[in-house]
Amino acid sequence: MKKLIGVMILLLVASTAAFGQVVVNEWQIPFLNCLTGPIASIGEYLQWGANYAAEEINAAGGIAGKPVKVIPVDTGLDPQKGSVEMARIVKDSLVAMGPVPEAVIMAAMPIAVENGMMSITATTSYEYAAPYLPWTVSWFPPTEKRLATLIEAWLKQFSDIKTVVQFIEPYGAWPGMAKGHTRAINNLKLKEVKIDVPSDAVAFGPIVVRAMSQKPDAVILACNAEKAAKIIKEMKSLGWTKMDHILVFSSADTPELYTTGGKDIEGVQIYNYTNDALDTPRWNAFKAAYMADHQGTQVPSLAPNYYDALYMIKEAIEKTGVTGDPKKLKEERKKIADYLQNIKGFKGLLFEWDNVDGVAMTKPTYIFEVKDGKKKLVLEVKPTF
Amino acid sequence: MQVFIAQIINGLSLGSIYVLLATGFNLLLLVALIIHFSYPVVVVFSMYIVWVVLNATGNNLLLGILAGVLSSIILNVVSAPIFQKVMKKRGEVDINSTMVVSMGMGFIITDILSHSFNHGFPIAFPENLTGSEPLFRIGLISVQVGQVWSLAIGAIAVSAFFVLLYKTRAGRAFRAIAEDPAGARLVGIPIVKTGIQSYALSGVMGGMSAILIAMLLHSASPGLGDMLAHKVLAVSIVAGLGNLVGGLVVGLALGVIEALIQGYAAGSWSNAIAFVVMLVVILWKPKGLFGIKV
Amino acid sequence: MSLSIYYFLSITAVNILMTWAIYLPYRVAHLHFITIANMAISGYLAGYLVMTLKFPFFWALLIGFAVGGLIGYLVSLFIGDAPTFAVVIVGFTFIYITRTVIENIPAIGGTMGMFGLPNIAKTPAGHRNLIIVILYGLVLLVGFLIYRFDNSRLGKAASAIFVDKDLATSLGVDIKKLGQLLQVFSCIVAGGTGVLYGFIYRSFHPDFFTFHLVGIYMTTMFVGGYSTLWGSLLMAPILYGLPLLFPKEIQSWRMVIYGVILILVLVLKPEGFITRRLVYNIGIRLSHKREKI
Repeated sequence: MKKLIGVMILLLVASTAAFGQVVVNEWQIPFLNCLTGPIASIGEYLQWGANYAAEEINAAGGIAGKPVKVIPVDTGLDPQKGSVEMARIVKDSLVAMGPVPEAVIMAAMPIAVENGMMSITATTSYEYAAPYLPWTVSWFPPTEKRLATLIEAWLKQFSDIKTVVQFIEPYGAWPGMAKGHTRAINNLKLKEVKIDVPSDAVAFGPIVVRAMSQKPDAVILACNAEKAAKIIKEMKSLGWTKMDHILVFSSADTPELYTTGGKDIEGVQIYNYTNDALDTPRWNAFKAAYMADHQGTQVPSLAPNYYDALYMIKEAIEKTGVTGDPKKLKEERKKIADYLQNIKGFKGLLFEWDNVDGVAMTKPTYIFEVKDGKKKLVLEVKPTF
Repeated sequence: MQVFIAQIINGLSLGSIYVLLATGFNLLLLVALIIHFSYPVVVVFSMYIVWVVLNATGNNLLLGILAGVLSSIILNVVSAPIFQKVMKKRGEVDINSTMVVSMGMGFIITDILSHSFNHGFPIAFPENLTGSEPLFRIGLISVQVGQVWSLAIGAIAVSAFFVLLYKTRAGRAFRAIAEDPAGARLVGIPIVKTGIQSYALSGVMGGMSAILIAMLLHSASPGLGDMLAHKVLAVSIVAGLGNLVGGLVVGLALGVIEALIQGYAAGSWSNAIAFVVMLVVILWKPKGLFGIKV
Repeated sequence: MSLSIYYFLSITAVNILMTWAIYLPYRVAHLHFITIANMAISGYLAGYLVMTLKFPFFWALLIGFAVGGLIGYLVSLFIGDAPTFAVVIVGFTFIYITRTVIENIPAIGGTMGMFGLPNIAKTPAGHRNLIIVILYGLVLLVGFLIYRFDNSRLGKAASAIFVDKDLATSLGVDIKKLGQLLQVFSCIVAGGTGVLYGFIYRSFHPDFFTFHLVGIYMTTMFVGGYSTLWGSLLMAPILYGLPLLFPKEIQSWRMVIYGVILILVLVLKPEGFITRRLVYNIGIRLSHKREKI
């Protein structure tokens, strides 16, 4: 028993010491990611983006002359693990990235806020980031406003739409995003039919028949990628042919949409913030490296987010002149947070943007159409705030 | 009326998934006296094996189907000694422990699927397995090949296993070993051989189910087994554990109820209604509508 | 106390209490997972009372305990003597229904979750200290009550039911009443623990209460040992703490490791690591030492 207690104490001490070492000749940026569990595949490409940025930055001389290292910290989608890992990180880290996803954000971000450390949550919606400002930044503008503009632009492409069916899965911010879609439908005085997508559904025939019985002219899918693909397949089997009148929301633009949907999603439109069609050396290099490491698969739309987050941290460190001195930790953490709240003209992988009080207000959104399994740009929609 | 008929067909199709899985689950209960809670997870594992072999052989259907059935048989037979060890005394406590062992197997298989197959992304089955066009379609009423097959095989399997277990010598031997191995040995039943046969039989059912569910759903994901496991256990309990005919009726009924709720009930509460119906039945009749058969 | 020690200790305490909430009904062979739904119901309710109706925290905590008990009591009227698998599926069904209900109530945040629960003391450090005091006070109290129960006539009756219900009935044990008592007590514990769980994180999200908790608590109980309360007490910190130290390559196979451990323990040590016999032997050795002194 004594031995057991001894081992437990050792474990505790070791667990708290893991992030205790301060390496002054290297910037260590912890990334609270989800590398195991049900969304490990997403965590993998988020991590890939951050690691790729670190490689690039180091090859170009590092951050203020010192190399940077992204420390992957796995939360495994578990709030219990997320909170204790964040507690270890806030002990002596200058700035962090993550957490991913929402449940872990809610468990871990209050710890970062309480300790005055910035942690960039670059994949979640405004509503999940806003409560933690100024100790994070919102990667997206307020959901309802930005999406209303976007959906209006999408609907205005067509002149034959009177009734719109919206499939909504009750998960996290998705009903909030659906509200944004609804606002656009109402603004254009169209009829909307909302169909709930059960989270645990395995077959989609019943909800698709229900939707089709309303004789819709257009369909918006606000549910996860696998479900969206299966709903589209069901619609096709019931004779739906106007594929460009189907719009898939950004959260479903993940590899599952393409692997599950196959050729049945040809012609479907998708909105997102990453423009694959861009032709710049930086993006092309990123794309080529990603495809080389992932058996030629397309770059998922969220893959650049933590790439950009690391560059944002680089800019903040270099522009504010922070040194990483542990004695000035509190003061330097605040400098970074203050800088990032209103960063101007940040050169992201795909476009430049400004943060206004912590919120990325000037990012464009794109509408694509799936052609030969790849996204082709149809429309660019600028925010109108 | 057209919508109603379409929803009934959708319901029967969904129900046939529950029937296939509940039949395999009940079969294991009858021939081995184990509560294999994660049986649907094992079936999903076989679906992944089918997918791997189809990919590797350029969609050779025969090899894919064989691999699915074989993997299910192997998984069942390999897990047999574990269950048998836990089930030494065959008391209620030991039967409960088999459920916990099964849950442990579920953790392992689900995690392996999310790590080691297709980067954890869902898998999609090719058209030569799922069929590209519906068999027929009139307005919103459409019937797929997989729907017909799974409903037919579900009903045939229930009848065949019912006859096998209750009307033949072999079936009586399976049940005798499950309930009282020592007694079965005394009356001259070859324990090891019959025991392996009974697990293999459940494996065959699992493999067939894997192929039919692949035809019905066209895809699978690591979490699919867990999503189905809760409902399959609920179907089996509502019907009465080990009751094959009850499983058939309740499985189809649950599918139809779910389809009608999703098809007609408004709002996001529809998700809970099927569970409330099941909960009410279980609270009202914990031993099931058709009675426990073990 | 460092922050990481605080989170480790507080979540360990939650896991101990919740494993005990599963352990207690399992004394009569009931795997009562409704406790996880109870955590969510009481937690969200307390959050709403404190945030919106400005109830003092301690009142909300008491209401959390009471609501947990009330739900446990109502359900136990039906499943106080139900077979194990029926109790399991009632628990799972409740988890699903609870989640749907929570997701449909905008006043408690719906699918988004509930943000910004207040500190229960004037300062963050005071909040943490108070949470730890309450949690470990509760661990002591619940542990003491379970200890007394295990060593009482009722505890022996529960053991009889666990081994053979028919025998227990013939010995005059009221199976249903005892099953109800244990279910209600475990739901009371779960209700209060759910409130504290949310106030540790100072937020609630529907994903805080998913089936992964079933896996954690079940593994803790079966690996630690389901025949005494000490197994859960010992195994909760180990199973929560050890994975934090795994190298990344092993971490990613965490659930596989849990599954393998669970199966191995059930096959090789069916009663878990801490068995009643082991506790008895330790007791004897300790009493011998005392005599020598």
